[in-house]
Amino acid sequence: MSDHRRFTDGEAVVESEGATVGEVIADLEQRYPGLGEALTHGASAGVNGEIYAEPEYLEVDTDTDIYFVAPLTGG
Amino acid sequence: MTVTEDRPAYKWVGTRPIRHDGYEKVIGKARFAADLDLPGQLHAAYLRSPHGHARIVSIDTTTAAGMPGVKAVVTGADFPDLDPADPNFDVSVNVMARSTVLYNGHALAAVAATTRAEAAAAVAAIQVEYELLPVVLTLDESMADGAPLVNENNVTKFVESDGPSNLATVNVLERGDVDAAFPAADLVVEREFDTAYVHQGYIEPHACVVDVGPNGKADVWASSQGHFMVRSLTAAILGWEPSRIKVTPAEIGGGFGGKTTIYLEPVAARLSEMSGRPVKLVMTREEVLRATGPAPASKSRVKIAASNDGELIAIECWFGYAVGCANDFAGLVGAMSVASYKFPNLKLEAIGALTNTPKTAAYRAPSAPQAAFAIESVIDELAQALDMDPIDLRLRNAVEEGDPTAMGMPHPRIGFVECLEALRDSDHYQSPVPDGAARGVATGFWFNIGEQSSATVNLNEDGTATVITGSPDIGGSRASMALMAAEELGIDVYRITPVVADTESVGFTDVTEGSRATFSTGMAVVNACRGLIEELRARAATILGVEQDAVTWIEGSAVADGHDPLPLSAITAKAKSTGGPLTVTGSLNAAGAGPSFAAHCCDLTVDEETGQVAILRYTAVQDAGTAIHPSYVEGQLQGGSVQGIGWALNEEYVFDDEGSLENASFLDYRIPVASDLPMIDTIVVEVPNPAHPYGVRGVGETGIVPPMATIANAVARATSTRMTSLPMSPPRILAALEAS
Repeated sequence: MSDHRRFTDGEAVVESEGATVGEVIADLEQRYPGLGEALTHGASAGVNGEIYAEPEYLEVDTDTDIYFVAPLTGG
Repeated sequence: MTVTEDRPAYKWVGTRPIRHDGYEKVIGKARFAADLDLPGQLHAAYLRSPHGHARIVSIDTTTAAGMPGVKAVVTGADFPDLDPADPNFDVSVNVMARSTVLYNGHALAAVAATTRAEAAAAVAAIQVEYELLPVVLTLDESMADGAPLVNENNVTKFVESDGPSNLATVNVLERGDVDAAFPAADLVVEREFDTAYVHQGYIEPHACVVDVGPNGKADVWASSQGHFMVRSLTAAILGWEPSRIKVTPAEIGGGFGGKTTIYLEPVAARLSEMSGRPVKLVMTREEVLRATGPAPASKSRVKIAASNDGELIAIECWFGYAVGCANDFAGLVGAMSVASYKFPNLKLEAIGALTNTPKTAAYRAPSAPQAAFAIESVIDELAQALDMDPIDLRLRNAVEEGDPTAMGMPHPRIGFVECLEALRDSDHYQSPVPDGAARGVATGFWFNIGEQSSATVNLNEDGTATVITGSPDIGGSRASMALMAAEELGIDVYRITPVVADTESVGFTDVTEGSRATFSTGMAVVNACRGLIEELRARAATILGVEQDAVTWIEGSAVADGHDPLPLSAITAKAKSTGGPLTVTGSLNAAGAGPSFAAHCCDLTVDEETGQVAILRYTAVQDAGTAIHPSYVEGQLQGGSVQGIGWALNEEYVFDDEGSLENASFLDYRIPVASDLPMIDTIVVEVPNPAHPYGVRGVGETGIVPPMATIANAVARATSTRMTSLPMSPPRILAALEAS
């Protein structure tokens, strides 16, 4: 989403570690300074086919794909 | 009704009982916010900006404050200044301007007086000195090099930003390699489109009554899509703890996304606090149109490549949304969601840009209709160029379970193919196109949302149940909640009383958006009922003298071998002697809101002398997962279709050069009425959502996504002229015909 690749030297897919989405984001912040902060305050997360607005404590494992998207809303 | 998968035989789910709230609404007893009057109540009125953009040099309320009947006057100085980084900053400034008015109609003062006429007279006596600033009204003006700043507090979101900007947001999604795909394609169609600002058009204007007592606590009665949202935002804007505020939901006369935010309540609360009297604040229709959120205007460029045998190979889109005077980023996700086809190569960019027009708000599937108009028009043009049936082309490329969304993650179980097949096989599509008419087809998608909901189910001593939720009844949720509870408990749906409770009488419930109420609040009801059934089995075991494991709950009775079935009413009658009241609360943060797809078909004629479009026949097909109350589902499909037809043919905001809205009434802002349209036929497809106990998918939003392209595609086939600008009003159609 957006230009978050500016934090990752242009890479769209990156690896990270953590037992929860919050830990993954914290790890991303360590690896790519600024990215974790941007994701914390401006993204929803798609995990296992479902979208979560506040995924901080959602458990993930080594096979989990996390898709960060702009915050969702509706009418 | 098209049911695509085996499912249990339900007794109540899928039936059409008379709505529980119907009697009170028919006889006029149901109370909307403007119906409420309290003893000693004052009436309030706004001073609104006559300028499209201006700095407020001074406001003198001295004369107004001394006029007959006036009890309180507020300006922006009476509200705390939030940090621009605060998520509620833009709403706060929209509720009451601080140093600058950002659009014509922006509120900058309000007066509470004994009568509305006295309040209005006092408003007219307020003296304001303005320093006029440049007015930016369109997307092109906003994005032009050197454009004046619309809002000096706006900072672009989702990209690196180095200061105030007119750019609200930038979102980009990519997969594959569009640069390589387009040159290799057999066929490429590229078009530019634009759409106008349109309003949600709810019949009930915004209204509230607020009474702040001597203890500092506020009672609020308001019409909204979520009274907990009203509490949260009102508290944030006033700088109060939310617990100071109790919000009682009034009945709502339409919202469609436009009542997912607030305008009035903090102003009425401050006036009530200052005067010591209840304050009623009701917008006029003109105020609704001038100062509450329309949907964004848009421009877009869409390029799609296909092979000669109808495989869609690549899509590249740019969507620009004019979002009004403040940052409204989230709706841009809608633009990302419309790519419903298996494009191996995809690049979508969506931006929002600020304009000196009212702050925009959600409108059913926010931002998706504008994007779908463009994409589905190009898809249709490709079908024409390939000489393919437009449904066959879509079926060839439609996404299914496991295919990636535009956002990347795979689709769950969805019913897009089933919708297309249902439309293809419908009587409408199988019938010949009437002489002189043309037929158009288009599709739509919305991802839907879960979020937080709560429900409490009380069993009464006579064996009836009260189902209490925190979701306002916008689209029939009382009946839907009662039906799911009846199915769970095994009792007659009319022995259930569904109640929408205030913020102090039920657990927190998020605003009704994302078509979430029947899905998410329904799950809370189901969870509560299942908890109750466990308790009923335990009570029955006590009464029957058996172990709980020996008791089964079947069709409203506890059943144990060797005993007659024990009906629910026999258990509730002995509640006191078996453990006390029977009540259980369910609450959750729901995930798994199943996306809903739609396919629409329209037959129409175009009068080439007047430019008038006449809709002859219209069919809306949509996947509801499971239709809990089919009549309400059909109503949602019909309502979305009609609003989309208005968006397509007539509706638009018309501003003068200074940003004054020139058509701020329903006489001049032309929404469709019954006599304009045929009956909207519906086909409800049911591909159950595996994440919901009854398979529900939200249906409130998707229905507005396809109509604009559906009609444009029919017009193109009727006139051989591709309309790329909305609305397709008679003058625009005539101009396009003359140009072609």
